[in-house]
Amino acid sequence: MRKIIILFTVVVFGCGLLSISCARRNPDRLSTELLPVEGSPLVGFRIMLHFGSAHDPEGQEGIGALMLSMLAAAGSRSMTFQEITQAFYPMAAGVGLQMDKEMATITGTIHMDNLEPYYAIFKTMLLEPGFREEDFIRLKTNQLDFLEKTLVGNLDEQFGKEILNNMMYEGHPYGHNENGTLESVRGLSLADVKDYYTKRFQQGNITIGLVGGYPADLPDRVREDFAVLPEGHVPQLMLPAQRKPEGLEIVVADKQTPATAISMGFPVSLSRADDDFFALWIAGSYFGEHRQHLSHLFQKIREERGQNYGDYAYIEHFIQGRDKFPDTNYCRQQQYFSIWIRPLANSNRHFVLRQALRELKILVDEGIPEERFLLTRQYLLNYTRLYAQTLQERLGWQMDSQYYGHDDFLAEAQERLAAVTLEEVNAAIRKHLNYENLYIAVITQNAQTFQEVLVANTPSPITYANPNMPKEILDEDLLIQGFPLDVIPEKVRVVPASGFFLGKGIPEVRK
Amino acid sequence: MRRHTSLQLVCGLLVLCFPLLIQAAEIFPYAYKIEQLENGLKVVSIPLENPHIISFYTIVRSGSRNEIEPGKSGFAHFFEHMMFKGTKTVPREAYDEYLTRLGAGTNGYTTDDFTCYFTVFAGQENLEEVVRTEADRFINLYYDEEMLKTEAPVIEGEYYASASNPARRIHELMRDTAFELHSYKHTTLGYLKDIQDMPNQFAYSQIYNKRFYAPDNIILLVVGDFAHDSLMALVKQHYGGWKKSDYTLVTPVEPPQKAPKRAHYDWPSVTLPLLAIGFRGPAYSGNELDKAALDLLAQTFFSRSAPLYQKLVIEEQKCASFYASFPDRRDPYLLTFNAVVKQNKELDYVEEEIFKEIERAQQDLVQDKFLAEVKSNIKYSFAEALGTTDGVAGSLAFYISLAEDPGTINQLFALYERVTPQVMRDMAKKYFTRANSTVVTLSGGGSQ
Repeated sequence: MRKIIILFTVVVFGCGLLSISCARRNPDRLSTELLPVEGSPLVGFRIMLHFGSAHDPEGQEGIGALMLSMLAAAGSRSMTFQEITQAFYPMAAGVGLQMDKEMATITGTIHMDNLEPYYAIFKTMLLEPGFREEDFIRLKTNQLDFLEKTLVGNLDEQFGKEILNNMMYEGHPYGHNENGTLESVRGLSLADVKDYYTKRFQQGNITIGLVGGYPADLPDRVREDFAVLPEGHVPQLMLPAQRKPEGLEIVVADKQTPATAISMGFPVSLSRADDDFFALWIAGSYFGEHRQHLSHLFQKIREERGQNYGDYAYIEHFIQGRDKFPDTNYCRQQQYFSIWIRPLANSNRHFVLRQALRELKILVDEGIPEERFLLTRQYLLNYTRLYAQTLQERLGWQMDSQYYGHDDFLAEAQERLAAVTLEEVNAAIRKHLNYENLYIAVITQNAQTFQEVLVANTPSPITYANPNMPKEILDEDLLIQGFPLDVIPEKVRVVPASGFFLGKGIPEVRK
Repeated sequence: MRRHTSLQLVCGLLVLCFPLLIQAAEIFPYAYKIEQLENGLKVVSIPLENPHIISFYTIVRSGSRNEIEPGKSGFAHFFEHMMFKGTKTVPREAYDEYLTRLGAGTNGYTTDDFTCYFTVFAGQENLEEVVRTEADRFINLYYDEEMLKTEAPVIEGEYYASASNPARRIHELMRDTAFELHSYKHTTLGYLKDIQDMPNQFAYSQIYNKRFYAPDNIILLVVGDFAHDSLMALVKQHYGGWKKSDYTLVTPVEPPQKAPKRAHYDWPSVTLPLLAIGFRGPAYSGNELDKAALDLLAQTFFSRSAPLYQKLVIEEQKCASFYASFPDRRDPYLLTFNAVVKQNKELDYVEEEIFKEIERAQQDLVQDKFLAEVKSNIKYSFAEALGTTDGVAGSLAFYISLAEDPGTINQLFALYERVTPQVMRDMAKKYFTRANSTVVTLSGGGSQ
């Protein structure tokens, strides 16, 4: 059975306004993105909303997520949520919701056998929401529990990424989790949510996406149905410049945990709309392709030294979709570079942090070796051909292409990647990446001790189960364990894990 | 506008021929061929008119089920990691380079019953290299003791990666409590103490390799854009010389459970409390009704549309989520009802409500209409998973590991059709007894 999925994913950054072409003839009217696939027995709906958590009003952070879950996981005017789940059940159908900083997407996939009864319910969920008190209480509680218990108590890796986001975007519209803060969500009323729906559900904020073997008249019918919404749109956010870190700015969340999770990064001023993107894409793939052996960090930290399960790097906000491929419809005006160090033994945290930063320094100072450049470029040319396989993936990529001003981003990537030179890659690395100014988020135990050794630059040797480690690795370890990190006491904040997400940003430093 | 790029060729015809009218057709609609080499290696091939993409799966019947000796829990999964170390002719670095050049989606995963290695790639022209390279790494795997000692701590890292997730902990606790002898007692990751001893297991790893990584314990599953005969010629050429193992695995037989069991875990951090109620159940079968009937029973009483879900999650809002789980396994396994409860003080109430619902399942006959809806749900769920080349391969891998023949899927769905309300009630009486139950709970400090 397909589940009704509420995917509130983690966040990130960027700056510099993009020229966003959404193929919308009139900005106050609905737009559509169609991808007919003749012969397919499935139909996919993909309703893109041109607002996200960054549009949440000050003091009402999380209202967008709560409002959208009141559509995707609650009753309509004519049906209770119980009735909807019972009606969807024999069709194995559901409604999915994902939300990011500047957009949200509501999805549904249905077999042609059930298209009409499914769509009849789907449209009323979005256009005639029930806004019942009992649904509101249920979903608001879920949202609060996620922030207070699940994120802090059960998901250290995601927790680390959220702290990184909050560090990077303090005082910025991206600066809170999609689910808001405990304080802001507690203050939301059903009336607030209804009011927010009225403000945001304007035609110009919506792109209707359809994919699959749908009948020829379906796009017009859907357009006509959604035309009951008022005309109008929310202007694109004018985001402030991203604040770049000054030196190594570190937040250590203190928590009883057997393993240390680390995420780090900094804003970058480019996106898929920029020429440099393709060159930096090769650099990012070489340095840390998501969950692939190709990743240089993976090779150095995991394969050579067995320190953890994996180590990766990203040149834009990344959410894993099917298998390990990037998910779609997380487009942003502002982006960031990040490194994800998966949990490792607490005893080795200092060494691995040093190692990752040292590898970043080598990347920036020396660039990519030519043979790795050629290999990585070939890899991306092939690997990206696997990105868009399901109907929803194909439409998702098509919508992302529109956002960043491409006809077909994946097709263009085949030409652009092939034309990138090693010199361009290394120039892009030097232009966009650095190793001296980073935000670093760490979740670990005995955080105070960690702060002290970081500031003191205490050497951090490690030991191995293998008594015969290759000499070249042990020699390199000597360089890593003493690799100087320029950490000053004022830039390291130690905070109890339980203090996060009450309000925005990073909680007060413990004295 | 670029209308004829390779990408569009890849995507342009991604319409697989699964049935337009799902209720009228067999659930697994693709033609397939099965061939076996003299050394026992089985090949299941499903050519699809689906340009460029090929999924090449190697299914090894090696899982936690095979870990029958004390101190060896997690070994099947550990060995999966070692399988990426290369051979003397294609060492690890060269193997990684080959995968990189291919730009393949690739990995391995280990389950209770099998380990699966997959390479999903574009381009028929790459098939020969994939078959040759995969055959080489399975037949000629080479690593020394030092390589093993370096890889072993990675497993500990994998253990840490999910250490903050209480769902994993309650799953471990359920299995450890419910089973006494069978190797399903531990999870595929294994016990931490065994994981920490893996650096010392070089000699055992060689034994494990000989026992299970042999053609008579392996099935190749290939789906996508290729011709069967060409594939078989390559397979015979590259796998034909591989020697059999002839090892027979004898898994411990779990004695019948005679009394209810219970366990609790105190989570060190804040969390929503968790409850799981397990009942020992039958193994997968394409012939016997028991497992199929219990699958439908679990859906009927514990799916989203079931009255108890509606009551506990939607109306009373005592639970954040609630679901049944009864994976197909080669040996008798566990049917569990799982709840994420909102407050510690509600754990007892939710447990009572689940047992009351189970009593109803033993007394009342399910309405025919509702049973028909459950059958419909299962069919449409499966049909959607078959929407891409790799969806077909990924879905099929589980069934191939169980029955070695894709036809088992149609057999299973035929069994579902034979399940009646009376059969379901009988099965509820047979399996859902208190003496056959295990209840585990987990709670932390922040849920009151």
